[in-house]
Formats: sequence, C-alpha cells, structure tokens
Amino acid sequence: MPWVAGTYPVKLAQEILIWGIFAMSLDLLVGYAGMISFGHSAFFGLGGYVAALCLKHWSPSLASAVLLPAVAAGVAGLVIGYLSIRVSGVYFIMLTLAFSQMLYAAAFSTEWLGSSDGLPGVPRPSLPGVDLNLTPAFHLYVMVFFALAGVALDRIVRSPFGRVLRGIDDNAHRMAAVGYAVNRFKLVAFVVAAVIAGLAGSLYAQFNGYVSPEMLFWTTSGEALLMVIIGGTRTLAGPVLGAAAFIGLQSLVSSYTERWMLILGAVFIGFVLWAPAGLLGLVQEGAEPRA
Amino acid sequence: MLLFLLSVGLTLIFGMLDVINLAHGSFYTLGAYAGLAIAAVTGDFWIALALAPVVVAAVGALIERGCLRALYARGPNAQVLLTFGFIYLFDDLVKWIWGAHVRSMPPPAMLAGSVALGALRFPSYRLFVIVFGLAVAGLLWLLLERTRLGAILRAGVYDREMTAGLGVNVHRVFTGVFAVGAALAAVAGVIAVPIQAAYPGMGVEILVRTLIVVVIGGLGSLKGSLAGSLILGQAETFGKAWFPDTSMFIIYGVMVLVLLARPTGLFGRELR
Amino acid sequence: MERLTRRRFLGGAGAAAATAALGPPARRASAQAKPLKIGLVLPYSNVYAVLGESITEGMRLVFERESWTVAGRKVELLREDDEVSPQVGLRKTKKLIESDAVDFLVGPVSSGVLAAIRDTVHQARQILIVANAGNDEISRERCSKYIFRASFSNWQPNWPMGAWVAAHVGKEAHLIAPKYSAGFDMMKAFKETFVPAGGRVVGEDYTPFPVNEDFAPFLTKINQAAPRVVYAFFSGSQAVRFVRQYDEFGLRARSKLCGAGFLTETDVLPAEGKSALGIITGHFYSTLLDNPTNRQFVREFRETFKKTPDGFAVQGYDTAQTIVHALKATGGDTQNKDRLIEAVRRVEFDSPRGRFRFDPKTQNVIQPFIYIREVREIGGELANVVIDQVANVKDPGTGCTLPG
Repeated sequence: MPWVAGTYPVKLAQEILIWGIFAMSLDLLVGYAGMISFGHSAFFGLGGYVAALCLKHWSPSLASAVLLPAVAAGVAGLVIGYLSIRVSGVYFIMLTLAFSQMLYAAAFSTEWLGSSDGLPGVPRPSLPGVDLNLTPAFHLYVMVFFALAGVALDRIVRSPFGRVLRGIDDNAHRMAAVGYAVNRFKLVAFVVAAVIAGLAGSLYAQFNGYVSPEMLFWTTSGEALLMVIIGGTRTLAGPVLGAAAFIGLQSLVSSYTERWMLILGAVFIGFVLWAPAGLLGLVQEGAEPRA
Repeated sequence: MLLFLLSVGLTLIFGMLDVINLAHGSFYTLGAYAGLAIAAVTGDFWIALALAPVVVAAVGALIERGCLRALYARGPNAQVLLTFGFIYLFDDLVKWIWGAHVRSMPPPAMLAGSVALGALRFPSYRLFVIVFGLAVAGLLWLLLERTRLGAILRAGVYDREMTAGLGVNVHRVFTGVFAVGAALAAVAGVIAVPIQAAYPGMGVEILVRTLIVVVIGGLGSLKGSLAGSLILGQAETFGKAWFPDTSMFIIYGVMVLVLLARPTGLFGRELR
Repeated sequence: MERLTRRRFLGGAGAAAATAALGPPARRASAQAKPLKIGLVLPYSNVYAVLGESITEGMRLVFERESWTVAGRKVELLREDDEVSPQVGLRKTKKLIESDAVDFLVGPVSSGVLAAIRDTVHQARQILIVANAGNDEISRERCSKYIFRASFSNWQPNWPMGAWVAAHVGKEAHLIAPKYSAGFDMMKAFKETFVPAGGRVVGEDYTPFPVNEDFAPFLTKINQAAPRVVYAFFSGSQAVRFVRQYDEFGLRARSKLCGAGFLTETDVLPAEGKSALGIITGHFYSTLLDNPTNRQFVREFRETFKKTPDGFAVQGYDTAQTIVHALKATGGDTQNKDRLIEAVRRVEFDSPRGRFRFDPKTQNVIQPFIYIREVREIGGELANVVIDQVANVKDPGTGCTLPG
C-alpha cells in the first residue's frame, strides 16, 4: 500500500489499524462477555507510557516496545480485573472508570511523566536491517501486529472459551448454575483484552513519537466504545470498521466541516437506538444464530 | 455547591431510573450557555437563572421520552451508552452555536463586591453560591420529605415495581425526575459562569467529579449528595493548594475504595 | 462569534489583478506561480483562543499590505485549531505537513504543543516559524535547523525581571504559574536573577493546565502568607481569571503583583479592568512604544480590526514579515530548502518592537529590548506604561549546536 498512495493516507491507515487493535480488544469484553468498561483506556495509556519510558530511557528495542508494555498491561489487567469483576452493572462501569482516572491523575500530576504536556521524543525500536522511521517499514510492522492480534482474538472467540463467554453474556446465572466459574472466565477475558490494549497503546506511542495523559482519560475508552458499537459488536471486523469510520470522520470530514463530533455523536446514538448490531449487523441481514 | 446541585440531579436520576446519566455534564454546559444567551438578550442575570433551567429541563424531558424510554427493556448498560453519545452531540452543538472561546459573564451588580471575613476578604458572589446551594438543598428536602410527590419519588427509588403496582404513572415520574435533574444541572451551570466561565469542555470536566460525589455520598440519596459534595469540595480545595501532585490521585483512589468496600456509599440504598 | 470551519484566505482583487496583468507568461513560470501555502497550527478554542486570533490578525495585516502576493506567489493561509492540546496539535500538524504540503508552518501558542510536534517537524524537514510557544529547550538542546522562533523564549521576558523586582519591589516572592513547560521555564528564569540579587522565594505553586481555573485555593493560601511580591505567569483567559480573583480576594492590599508580560497584555487588559492597575510586568512590547514602525502598526491595526493590537499581534506581524522578506530574497523559490533556510536566517527588518533579527546561534529572535511596564490609566484607557528597559536580550542557547 505505501507504494501506491502518498504518505498521508498510509499514516491514516496505520492509525486505523492501531485503534482497530484497541477496539477489537474492547469488543472481547463488550461484545462477547457483556462487560461494558469505561476503563479500557487505563491499559492503552499504560502500554503507551511504559513503551515511551523504556524506549526513551532504557533501550530502543522490541523488549521495550512489546514485552514490557504487554506485561505491564497484563498485570494491571489482573489487578483491576480482579477487583472490578466482583461487582457488575453500573458499579463495574464506574469502578473501571475510576481506575482509569487514577492512572490519568498519576500521569497528569507527575512532572517526570511530563504532566499535562506528556512525553515527546519517543523513538521507534531499532530492528536489525530495518529502519522503522521509514513509512513503508513501519506500516508493515503495524500490520504484523494487527494480524497477530486479529488471529489471536479470532482463535479465542471461536474456541470453547469464547463460547463460554458468550454464554455468560447471554445468561450468567444459567452458566453459574451449570457449574462454570463465571468470574474466572471474565477475569481471563479481561486480562487478555488488557494485554492487547496495552500493545495498541505501545504502537500508538511509537506511531506518534509521543504519549499524553489523554490516552488514560476515560473518554478515550469511550471513543473505542463508539467504534465498537458503530462497527458492530460480537465481531472482529466490526471494531475495525468502527475505527475506520471514526478516524475517517475525524481526519477527512474535518476538512470540510468542523462538525464531525456532532455527526459522530448522532450516528452513535442512532446505532444504539435502532441498530445495536452496528454497521456489520446492518450489512449481514441474516445474522447468524448466537452460538 | 455546584457539585451538590449536579450530584443531586445525577443521584436522583440513578435512584429512579437506574441510569448513570453521562450526559449530565452536558446539561450543565447547556445551562451555562443558555444562561449566557438569555443574559445577553435581557441584560439580567436573575432572569437567566430562572429561564435557562426551564429550557434545559425541556431538553432533558425530550431525551428521556424520545430516547431513553425506548431502551428500558434493554437494560441500564444500553442507556449508559446512549447518554455517552449525547456528550459528543451537545459539546459540539455548543461549539457550533457559540464558538469555542471561553466566555464569561460578570456577577450581578448587587453581588459584585467582597465581604470582610476576619482578616481576609471573600467575594460576595461566592457567598451567595453557598447560601443558594443550601437553600436549594432545603427546598429539595422539603419536597422529598413533606410532599406527596416526594413520597412517590422516595417510594420509586426504594422499589420501582411496587410503586408502579400502586397505580402511579411511573413513566411520567421518570420524565419529571430526568427533567428536574437536568434543570438542577442547568442552574449550576448558570451560577458557575461568573466564577469559572463557560467553555465547551466544562461538562466533561465536572462530570467525573460529580460521579465521585455520587459514589461517595451514595446513589439515590439527597443527604449523600450534600455530604459527598462537601467532602469532595473540601478535599479538592485543601488538596489543590497543599498537595497538588497527589490530591487528584488520592481522590480517585477514595472513589475506588468506596466502590469496592461500600458500593452504596455513605447513605445510598442497595442496588436492585 | 467564531466559526471554526477550516477556511482558506485567498488573495482577492490583488491576486486577480496580478495574474491578469501577467497574462500568458504566468503560465510558463510553473513552479513559481504555485500558491504559497502557510499552515497555521494555532489555538482557536480553549484558554488561548484569543492569542491564536491575535497572531492571525497580525499576519493578515502584513499580507493585506502585500495584497496577498509575495514574489509572484499568491498567499494562502490554512488554519487548524490545536485546541491547546499537544495531541490534537500533533494530529493537525501532521495533516498540514503531509496532506496539505505547506511551504511554511506557523505556530503554535502552547509550549506543550510545540514540544509534541518538534520531532515530527524536524524529521519531515518542514520549516516552522514559531509564532508564540516559548519552550526554552527549542532554542537549546532541542533546537533544529528547520525551526525559527519569531516570538520569544520563555526565558527572555522573565530573566531581567528577577533582578529588577529584587531591587525595586521586594526581596520576598511567591511564585505561581500553570503546570506545564512554559510555567516551569518562566519561573526558573525569574529565579536565575532574583535569588543572586538577594531575593528569597517563599512559595511556589503550579496550577492545573489547561483547564479554566478557579484560583481560590491558591489565593487563600498566598493571602495567609502575605508575601511582599507575587510573581505570576498566566496568559489568555487564565490571566483574566487570575488577575480578577487576585483583586476579589483582597491580595492587592498586601502583596505586589508582578509577572511576565502576558499577564496584562492588551488582549486581556480590558477584561481585567481596574483589577490590573499597578501590575508590573516584563515584555518585549508595549502598545505605547514610540517608534515609527509601531505607530504605523497600531494605527493600521486599529483601522483594520477595530481594536488595539497586543504583543501576540506583533508576533504574527513579525512572523509574516519574516516569510515575506525570506521569500523576496529567494525570488519566490521554496523548493530549495537550504537556500530558503539561509534566507530566513538572514532576515532583518523594522518591527514594532524594534530592529528584528534572529540569533544565528539559536534561530530565536533577539529581543531589541525587554521593557519593564506598569499598568496605568492613560486618557481613560488602561495601558502598559514603560518604566524601565533592558537592551539586547538573547537567549543563552545552551546546548544548541546550530552553525553560528
């Protein structure tokens, strides 16, 4: 693709892929396990900050770019998930939101984390034989991670584990009655989603060369939620479609009107009211029966 | 006091409708801008304070009847999502109509000076805000504890099905509660302008703090809102000036702890 | 009422007349006749919106004079709102560089935004003329041969104030500024000369940024300590808020308010009103400066925009003048980047603030003067009256390795 179009559309595509990874991970929670989280930004931002700090101050390597952010996000997911899953419904929503805000407050108030300015000057990892500062190389890099995330999530949702999750979403009481440790399944899903979100955050840091506390603010999680709902829950292509719609509106439509947020909000409300299965749901008229 | 006005609305809406109205901050923003517009036309702060909440209440009623009601069957999660969408809608609408600059309005002439409190001076307008907030608190308490409507509301918060079973038109009450909540938020918005000015993002900013108050005070409780807003207000004032680096973090930490240890907060009721 | 649609300011009659006069030969000069695209990444919303507007107006004044055509090229301004957010500013900058392929990038206002976009600009080899953001590091360890600054470094207006305040106002000061790079830079510069002159910093507060603040907690705290001097940096709507609340809480009786010039610049002075009387600030400009360029500038600005210009408008003016002079030097050529950079480095002209030139060591403007000013009422209007001045203030540029 980089050889066909100019650099700007390519970079838009990269941003869509990265947000697609983030949104897909959120869909694992929202669409498959029925957990609405406004705190997913915690892992996105944590992954981003860990990557930024490690790449800048420790070593510009894949360990900094991939391993450490994933581990950090996973640990955070375990802690936050363990504490949050015990409650459900609106309390779960508020608890996850609060955790994300805690991290936001930490980043926003701490000088060596850049305070409200964030951390600029984040280098891309140096890989042998490849210069990630060149757009085509970075594009392939992002696509590789996108593919990995997509395949991993696909395997998960198609597996018996995935079916249990959907069962939990449909009727948690029945699942518990049949003998499933509902909370343990939810926790695993939560941690997996957190790790993938952390990776997305790390990629975003490398993409921009910059991280900001806004990545940790609960509305960032909300934006991913927008993408999931608009694109279509309980699918993997849906969130990516939603990411494309969101970023497309933001970047392209904003050349002609500044009102893209209004449009987005209205579209989102429309989908929630009338087409809860999102764009993909509309496309697939004959929806497959729920497993 | 601003937090109190906002959290009362939010907590009552949750109490009655089981909905976390994420668009509550938008009612605050709309109130502020409507107040600015009305004051610009009439040249009078008090008229703005009286009219703006009516306008916003109408908007709230429309949203409840038009959109939220359709989602009651689908559960609170869907409703929360819906209100989230309204944030984007309203914030941009405000930007579109009034522009994105920070807009201010001076306090009404009779409250423009300052009062001496001991060795320090304190702006009269801020005193007014405190007194006004307490007055509203008093009025609401009277309404809830001493009127039939209040009894219906309390019953609805306690047990919605039974109340409906007793023949109360719950739908109308829902719309009413939502509208009143919106009106309270709008009042807070108008009052806030002389102190904090109006700008499109003001709703999102105060929304999180309102959520904290509601969590600490207890969902569905008027007493809780008052207690919660006082606690948070003091913590913030004290923390901002003396512990600026950690106060925000600690406040969110408290929110987390309350949700984990005692989700009903100080005075809230059990989740159905 | 500001409409935020992205607009292109096209040269009107002037450009049409020029093309008509040139006729067929215009078609032959292909590369030269391409419009000159100037991308503005400035705030048009949030706390610094007024600054973005002033800078834009200063630029427009210059281009109006040139009839929107410089060295045969039609001037196009592409406005993007950075909302004082580094994240948004980065996105808009990338768009201007990659999608719009602007010849010159101008902006931003916030030091936070500049810090975020610096690497992108440098790697894209995009010429940026900073029209406000003063982060010291851009003239020091993070300087770039593509980045010029026509405004100021955060250090410049504050460095002379330290010694001056210690000598003329008081030796005990409480510092307060917003919590981001500009706030930190400015307070640091003040301390650099305040402390050696015998001054003592009795308190230092940084307020949340960029939210529109209620300063009550901080003012109460300062009021209790009652220091001799309060030294502050705030700009835009934050300055209005701070100055008014400072007065409302009665601090004027006991503590003298001093600060960086943005606290009482003409963009905020009318809104601050009598609360601003007596505030002493340091700045590279005052509307009352008595030189022919400034007198003409103020007069033309008032005629065109129906209001008094401020230092930000001067920054916009100087930025636009820099572009005009550099472009005339290269005959309208923007393809040869090195040649264009050389031309920008060598510009020199009369600005309302004095003789304008860049310091080759840092590519930051050399302030002909930093004026110490006091807000007084002159003929029924508030103005910053010059009471002292320091000449030839250059940023030290420590750590910048540009060819001198």
